[in-house]
Amino acid sequence: MSGKEEILSEVTTKALHKERETVGSPFVENPRMTCREVNVYYGDKKAINNVNIDIARNEVIAMIGPSGCGKSTFLRCLNRMNDTIEGCRVTGDLRLDGMDIHDKNVDVVPLRARVGMVFQKPNPFPKSIFDNVAYGPKIHGLAQNKAELDEIVERSLKKAGLWDEVKDRLTQPGTGLSGGQQQRLCIARAIAVSPEVILMDEPCSALDPIATARIEELIAELRQHYSIVIVTHSMQQAARVSQRTAYFHLGDLIEVGMTDRVFTNPRHQLTEDYITGRFG
Amino acid sequence: MDQPEKNPTIDKVNRGLKRRYRAERRFRILGATAILTALCFLFLLFFSIVSSGYKAFEKTFIQIEVFFDPAEFTNENLAAANFPGLIKASMNSMFPEVTSRKDKKDLYYLISPGASFQLMKQVKNNPALIGQKELIWVAANDDVDMLLKGNIDRTRPESERRISDKQLGWLDTLAHDGKIKKTFNTAFFTSGDSREPELAGIWGATCGSFYTLLITLSLSFPIGVAAAVYLEEFAPKNRWTDIIEVNINNLAAVPSIVYGLLGLAVFINFFGMPRSTPLVGGLVLTLMTLPIIIIASRASLKSVPPSIREAALGIGASKMQMVAHHVLPLALPGMLTGTIIGMAHALGETAPLLMVGMVAFIVDIPHGFTDPATVLPVQIYLWADSPERAFVAKTSAAIMVLLAFLFLMNAAAVLLRKRFEIKW
Amino acid sequence: MKKSILLASALFAGMFAGSSAQAAGRDYISIVGSSTVYPFSTVVAEQFGKTTNFKTPKIESTGTGGGFKLFCGGVGVEYPDISNASRAIKKSEFDTCQANGVKDIVEVKIGYDGIVFANSKKSAPLKLTRKDIFLALAKNVPDPKGGDKLVPNPYKTWKDIDPALPNEKIEVLGPPPTSGTRDAFVELTMETGATTFPFIHDMEKKDKNLFKATTQTIREDGAYIEAGENDNLIVQKLEANPHAVGIFGFSFLDQNADMIQGSIIENESPTFDNIASGKYPVSRPLFFYVKKAHVDVIPGIKEYLGEFTSEKAWGSEGYLADKGMIPMDKKERDLFAKQAKELKTLTMK
Repeated sequence: MSGKEEILSEVTTKALHKERETVGSPFVENPRMTCREVNVYYGDKKAINNVNIDIARNEVIAMIGPSGCGKSTFLRCLNRMNDTIEGCRVTGDLRLDGMDIHDKNVDVVPLRARVGMVFQKPNPFPKSIFDNVAYGPKIHGLAQNKAELDEIVERSLKKAGLWDEVKDRLTQPGTGLSGGQQQRLCIARAIAVSPEVILMDEPCSALDPIATARIEELIAELRQHYSIVIVTHSMQQAARVSQRTAYFHLGDLIEVGMTDRVFTNPRHQLTEDYITGRFG
Repeated sequence: MDQPEKNPTIDKVNRGLKRRYRAERRFRILGATAILTALCFLFLLFFSIVSSGYKAFEKTFIQIEVFFDPAEFTNENLAAANFPGLIKASMNSMFPEVTSRKDKKDLYYLISPGASFQLMKQVKNNPALIGQKELIWVAANDDVDMLLKGNIDRTRPESERRISDKQLGWLDTLAHDGKIKKTFNTAFFTSGDSREPELAGIWGATCGSFYTLLITLSLSFPIGVAAAVYLEEFAPKNRWTDIIEVNINNLAAVPSIVYGLLGLAVFINFFGMPRSTPLVGGLVLTLMTLPIIIIASRASLKSVPPSIREAALGIGASKMQMVAHHVLPLALPGMLTGTIIGMAHALGETAPLLMVGMVAFIVDIPHGFTDPATVLPVQIYLWADSPERAFVAKTSAAIMVLLAFLFLMNAAAVLLRKRFEIKW
Repeated sequence: MKKSILLASALFAGMFAGSSAQAAGRDYISIVGSSTVYPFSTVVAEQFGKTTNFKTPKIESTGTGGGFKLFCGGVGVEYPDISNASRAIKKSEFDTCQANGVKDIVEVKIGYDGIVFANSKKSAPLKLTRKDIFLALAKNVPDPKGGDKLVPNPYKTWKDIDPALPNEKIEVLGPPPTSGTRDAFVELTMETGATTFPFIHDMEKKDKNLFKATTQTIREDGAYIEAGENDNLIVQKLEANPHAVGIFGFSFLDQNADMIQGSIIENESPTFDNIASGKYPVSRPLFFYVKKAHVDVIPGIKEYLGEFTSEKAWGSEGYLADKGMIPMDKKERDLFAKQAKELKTLTMK
């Protein structure tokens, strides 16, 4: 992907939208997900304004921007979690591997199995550690028998880097773990159903620096298998974990580009102002 | 800023400080007084009930020697035998000096009319008794019971007490011979209603309450929970659901007699269900408790954190799975608490049952949902209205039993909550 | 969750099956009606249930009027078989019965109940006449200054009415208008007391409505306190307030003779013998009514009638007398026992 950066960097979305252009390189080759002309409304209020962006395979893309800029709202379009919000309406074309995910015929249940989500606050079920991870495979029927289920749980916990810490207490409640462990448990729960994309909504905002570092390491490892979209408030975190960074401002996608480039050489004034700490 | 020792803000704060603390102290004292007053009234209530009711848990018996005269048992039907006659005969043999008709009547009066039924039962269970002489403890009349418990004052003039001087003499003789005893009143817990206070018991009413509440519980809990889950999780939020919500809240405040009238019109007059049965009573109480359960269930559904719902949806659970696997188990303790409080409410209700004919004199213990039955609070109401003085103690004793049941139910609610509550 | 739904539906189905089976027949007698007769009919029912193989009848205390409403609802197992009454059936009630197909009704008079005026033993017994009671309790009374006109009741103390009476505030605890006792009390004391005034007596012929209003309206300025249907409560209130007077049935006086005493009315005290002999003026007959169409349908009705009309129940030495019911004399008993046995149908014009 990095090879394409130079060519793509010259492309803007001018052709798609006249009033505002996204600076940088929102589009990639062979994307996992594509988003075109996405608008989100809460009642009469427009929260996301004509966003166009691709999500590549095996990349970590960070979404940054000041509070209320719409980055979380956009994230939740990607697995249709916005459906659960009363009065929320999404228009535009969102595709996962070419499949229109807002199509009426698309079932959100398998969609959410393919696009997993990790939330801001660790939210393990008030059940045992084992049951937390096994819940997804169970409802989707991914395991034929107990042994397979055990295997999935072990593999997921290992991938989430939690196995060594919890392998002796799988039957204990997941809510009894520390905050960082709980968040890794939630990641294990999400990857237990083998998704293609993992959405992370400020996964470290409730954690201390050590737990945060652990999660960031994990994100780097997970990139080998999944596309990861991470919303974060911390520019440092975005710089550390992501390959690409997207900057949102008041519902507009202002700039997308390789993370190094966006942080060292922002092309849009708003991006520069935000990164240099003039607001945010 | 220039003169740090003079900070006008702090001065202002300090000036108001005293007033703020005074207000807080006042509020605390007010609260403590309120609690104390409530406790005082509660204590008074318990004291008055227990002090007048505890005596009902004892019962007086008189020992008589009965000769089961074979001449009386000529008929096939044992019940046709003259059992009162047997008792009269044994009383006569105990007090041969009593001869006048009026005195004899006064003498027989000492023994409860229930004694002959007791003898009948004994003979039925053991026909070999016929022809035997047996020493048998039989229940004393309620007035004798009251006298021995000190509720009738011996020092009053004869005309002002229900036990005459002669009867006092006989009783003293019996007591001297050790033929009077007081034991725990098991009949109170095992028999149905009766017009004789010494025979009356609460088992019939307890069974009636049980059957009635069983119907109420088995209908109102699933329906109430289902309604709450639908309204809270599935129903669209629009004007119709708002109207439904307002109506449910209103229904919870409707006087319970209205449900009785509704039950009379719908279940009895329209569906033709039998009057005075736990079936109809249970249905009426179901209508009454439904809003309570729905409101409690919705509140406990609302208190389930949205993060759990998101977590479930986030890994692809369907809405039904989210509710059944995650939300419902978390909301259940609250729902159960609401249900038990609703049930306790139903257990103490008389007004709606009046309309469907459950305020009735029923002696036979109900054995099903369509047997005529009454319930505990109705039994209390009926006894409180009875002229016989001994029913005063029975009333209080029945209230104690009802309170015990209510206490148990509320304790169960607390326990369930403690047991199943999941902390985050 | 699934289990509980299953259980509930099974239960529901079971209940409806049970109810429809039940509707097909009833094996116990259903009795409704007067709360005054209730304590007596329950004793009979209990005796009947224990000494026979029939089930114990179910008795609801609905009040006389409420009883007739249910009783006259129609013929069929869902309607009661017997209605107790502390007064004779009214023409209007009889007509309702006829209209609903309850053609044949058997009337059984069972005895008398005395209505007593009583106060606490802590004060002296009152000696009253029915005129005194009328003057004490009516809303409008004849002008004490003379003349044939009505004025709002000016009497505050008993002494105002008759100097021989104590100088105490008039304070009477009595039943509410829904009670049969109240009806009987108004009819037996207020009306009779009022007609001692000639101009009110004449009023009955001239203006029936005015007569009714004059004689039956009880004052509402606090001297008469409606104490609810619970006579035990009145007894307790009398005990607490020695100056108050209560109105209730004789059986409550009988049971509480150590606390309260009956007022002497027209020189007769409310004793068992005085009421039975008719000397005590304020007493009323008690009845029950049987639906003839049910007699052969519901098991035990004939036997219940037999038990009620037997000497050991309603006789002068019977167990109903022990409970405070005043028996009829032997001739009357024989007459009504015979009528009950023959199921003689009531006619009304």
